[in-house]
Parts: sequence; C-alpha cells; structure tokens
Amino acid sequence: MSTFQVHYFASASSYTGKNTESLPAPLPLSKLFDTLEANLGDEYVDMEADGSGSGNEGIMIQNGDEVAVIPPVSSG
Amino acid sequence: MEDLESKCASLRTKIAATEAQLAKLKRELQEAEDARSQNAAAAAATANATTKEQPQTRSRWPLSGEEYRRYGRQMIVTQLGLQGQLKLRNAKVLVVGAGGLGCPAALYLAGAGVGTIGLVDGDTVESSNLHRQVLHRSKNVGKLKVDSAIEYLQELNPHPTYIAHRAHLAPQEAPDIFGNYDLILDCTDNPASRYLISDTAVLLGKPLVSASALRTEGQLMVLNNPPRPAGSKTGGPCYRCVFPRPPPANSVTSCADGGILGPVVGTMGLLQALEAIKVLSSTEEKAEATPPSLLIFSAYSTPQFRAIKLRSRRPNCAVCSAEATVTLESVRSGSMDYVFFCGTVDPEDSLSPEERVTPLQYRNGESTGPGRHVIDVREKVQFDICSLENSINIPMSTILASAYSAPAKDADGQKPLPSWLPSQITDDANNPIYVVCRQGNDSQTVVRTLKELGLHRGGERVVVDIKGGFRSWREQVDPDWPEY
Repeated sequence: MSTFQVHYFASASSYTGKNTESLPAPLPLSKLFDTLEANLGDEYVDMEADGSGSGNEGIMIQNGDEVAVIPPVSSG
Repeated sequence: MEDLESKCASLRTKIAATEAQLAKLKRELQEAEDARSQNAAAAAATANATTKEQPQTRSRWPLSGEEYRRYGRQMIVTQLGLQGQLKLRNAKVLVVGAGGLGCPAALYLAGAGVGTIGLVDGDTVESSNLHRQVLHRSKNVGKLKVDSAIEYLQELNPHPTYIAHRAHLAPQEAPDIFGNYDLILDCTDNPASRYLISDTAVLLGKPLVSASALRTEGQLMVLNNPPRPAGSKTGGPCYRCVFPRPPPANSVTSCADGGILGPVVGTMGLLQALEAIKVLSSTEEKAEATPPSLLIFSAYSTPQFRAIKLRSRRPNCAVCSAEATVTLESVRSGSMDYVFFCGTVDPEDSLSPEERVTPLQYRNGESTGPGRHVIDVREKVQFDICSLENSINIPMSTILASAYSAPAKDADGQKPLPSWLPSQITDDANNPIYVVCRQGNDSQTVVRTLKELGLHRGGERVVVDIKGGFRSWREQVDPDWPEY
C-alpha cells in the first residue's frame, strides 16, 4: 500500500501520543488537516489548517513523502 | 541551658544585623559597578572615535596581549579569524531573557568576546531555576536575574561592556532598547514576547536569533537575516512568516507546568550563541546566500536534529511584507496589542462552593469518611514524586485523550463510561469522590467530566474537588509536602 509518513513535534506529539504515523498516499495537502482532525480532535489542528497558507492547495502528498506537524514551542 | 538560649538569641541578632549590612553593601557595590560600566562604555565610545581618526598610532596590534591569549583558540579557526574577532568586539548584542536560554547564550557570547552584551529580564532567581540557568548561583536566589548573570559574566570576561535592563520587555520601551544593539537573541518564554521581539527587530532592521525549549525538545531559527526593509524580497523571513498566528492560549505550556531538561534548553541557548557568532562575523551577502531554516532538536528521537527548510518572507506578512500593517508607532502606542493577539486562557469554569472542599475540610473529615475515593489527576510522573495514601492516579492527559476519541452519546443519550474509570469507582456507587491536582484547575474540569458521566447520580453521591490542589494542601495541611 502507498503511504506517507507524518512526524509530530512538540505539542502535536503530546496530543497524538506518538512521534510518527503512516497514512495512505496520495493525499492532497489541503486534505491533510481534515484527515488528521479525525484522529486528533479539532482543537489544535483547525488553527494549523488556517495557518497553512493559500499557495498550498495544489500540492499532492505522494507515496514515501514525509510531512511534519510543527507547532511553535514558545517557552524557554 | 539558659546561657545557651541567650547565646543563640544574641547570635541570631548579630547575624540579622550583619546580613542587613551585607545587603546594603551589595546594593552600594551594584550601584558603583553600574556607574563604572557606564563610564567604561562612554570611555570606550570616545576611544573608538579617536582610533578611527588616528588609526594604530598607539599599538601595532588591534587587540591587547591578553585578548590574543584569551581568544587565540577561536581566532585560529578559519571561519572566524582576526577579522571575525574584531567584528565580535565591535558588536552589540541584546539577550532578551536571562533564563534557561539566555544564560548559556550570554555565557558563550561573553566568553567569545562580544563587545557589548545587554540583558533584559525583570525576574528574580529562584531555586527551581538553578538546574538549567547556569549563570545563577545558589547564593543569588532572590537577586534580579540580570544582576546575577552580569556578576558571573564579569568574572568570566571583564573585557565586554554589560548592560542591565532590569524589567520585562515592554512594547513601549522595546524600540528604544533595540535601537542600541546590532543583533537580538530571543530567549523568552511566551508567545506575546516572541511576536513583540520579532516585530521590533524587523522594524528596526536587526537580525534575530530565536530559540525555545520545552521538556525534551527545542526549536531554533535565524530570522530577518539579512535584515532588509519591509517589502524587500531578499530579506530573511520573520517569526510571523513562520508562525503567522499564535498557538491557542490553552495549548501553551510553560517550563513550570510541562518541565524542562537542563541540557535540552542549554543546547538551544548554545546554538543561539553559535548562530549569533556566525551572523556577526559574516556579511549580509553571505546571509542572503544561506537559505533560512528551522532546526528542531528532539532529545529522545532518532535523529535528534532535523533541519526544515523555511520559505522566504510571506507575501502578506503583517510586518515584513509590502502589505505590512504593524509599525513602530503601533508597537509603541499599544495599538498592536500582543497580549490580546496571543489570547489568554479562560479562567477555569469555577465550580460552585458546594462542589468544592478546602484541603483543611478534607483533612478534618477524614475520620468520618472511611470509604472516600481520591482521584489524583496529575501526570503519573508527578504522582510518583509524591501522592496521598490510597489515592488513585488518572492522569489528565488520559482523560483528555479519551474525550477526543470517545463516542459522544449512545442511544439513551447517556455517555458510555470511559475505560480510564477504574472499577472501584464505578462498582460502588455511594462512596464520595474527591478530585485533586497540582494547582486546582484540572481537578475542577474533571469534576465536571465525572458529573457529565452521571457519577454523582443526580446529587446523591458527593463528587467534589480539593480546592487549590496540592499547592493549598501544602499551605493548609502538610508543610512537608514536596514543593516541586
């Protein structure tokens, strides 16, 4: 089966309880957050989807691609 | 016996008096040192002006003998060299935040011989800082962080000029402070400061080295490098280009709540110092040729480091694009309101007084309630540090995670009981339930959750929280309870 790898960082990995997972490819990038939302609950990811910018709709995530969910870490 | 009593009392009085005198002397020393460093800065400024007019008349060499010995090991590294060292000496760097990031960053910048180092922080040193904030020492607990840090830096390297800004960075003052420096390091701990620092750096044309850390992870970016004016496509992206919107306020975790490993935040601070040295000793042309990136450090992952390529400036960025709306004036005047922009966490839906007991009330009722259940909703790692006898640990993260995946309601309109509820709670429907956490916020949320699940049986069963959590427990009931 064709898959791509999602890497979760910082609070995204706390929410999901994992560092990485495989999802079926291909998937339009614009659909990524809908897919993740089903797994994650909407609270966090909604905002990421809004923030992903307008130029990305046409991108297709392909077999073997790696996608990272990187929420900002702000403490220090 | 009485002799000893009076001897102790007399010694205590003497110690108190001597400590008061010592504190006074320390204040006087601080004032004298401030005056001295201001004089030194003024003298250095005059000296620089003189050298420029009559180059090299006094010495054959641009550095003092001591400086050659001190900086020799880094000056023979090709990438730095004498020219790099001279650039460092002429540079003025502002470190915002004298905590887990700022301490190691300032330590290495001072060691490397950066000519002027400013530190901004309004906090005082606490014991809980000492495992990672390496410039602060046990004897300085209670002292302002910037003063404690500069004390250490002076001893390490007396050559640089150190400037103390003894308050948290405020939007009204940020532009005036930043104006005196060449490069900014963001070593702060909250989103509002991060946006304020990035905006001000962009508007004043200063490159910015930004880092952050929490638990076992860190992030590092060199921003606004090269620092071209808003609208210039060749300038480096800013914090808003990478994170145009702040994270939801309730998802922001502090080191106090989430924890932090010293070497993790130390690593990020050191990397900031390194990037600062690279920016200062390089040229704008080289900066333009270096693509911007976000470095992620995950101490417990393989690989530990990942660099993510960043895009250039966002075409619609509110600060650095041609469509910019944020100006120095809007920062200074407060019309760009950073606290509002980043949001605040809504205060916990307070339970009614009948739904809560104080630690004291709980303790006093102990003899009358043999079958009480105490649910401790702190994370397991905290429960393992200290817990009440016979309490049951159900971590908040477990409860929240199941809230996301649980089916909303079954056919009867009743939520099914989640798997995290142990049978001893559900089997016996009468014994009262007390929920406790660290500070008394999560416990309220969980009381609500338990009631939504019907565990209070319409009011027949007591389901309450212990008000103020273990913080109040310590104050009211058990002064020996560990304060971690």
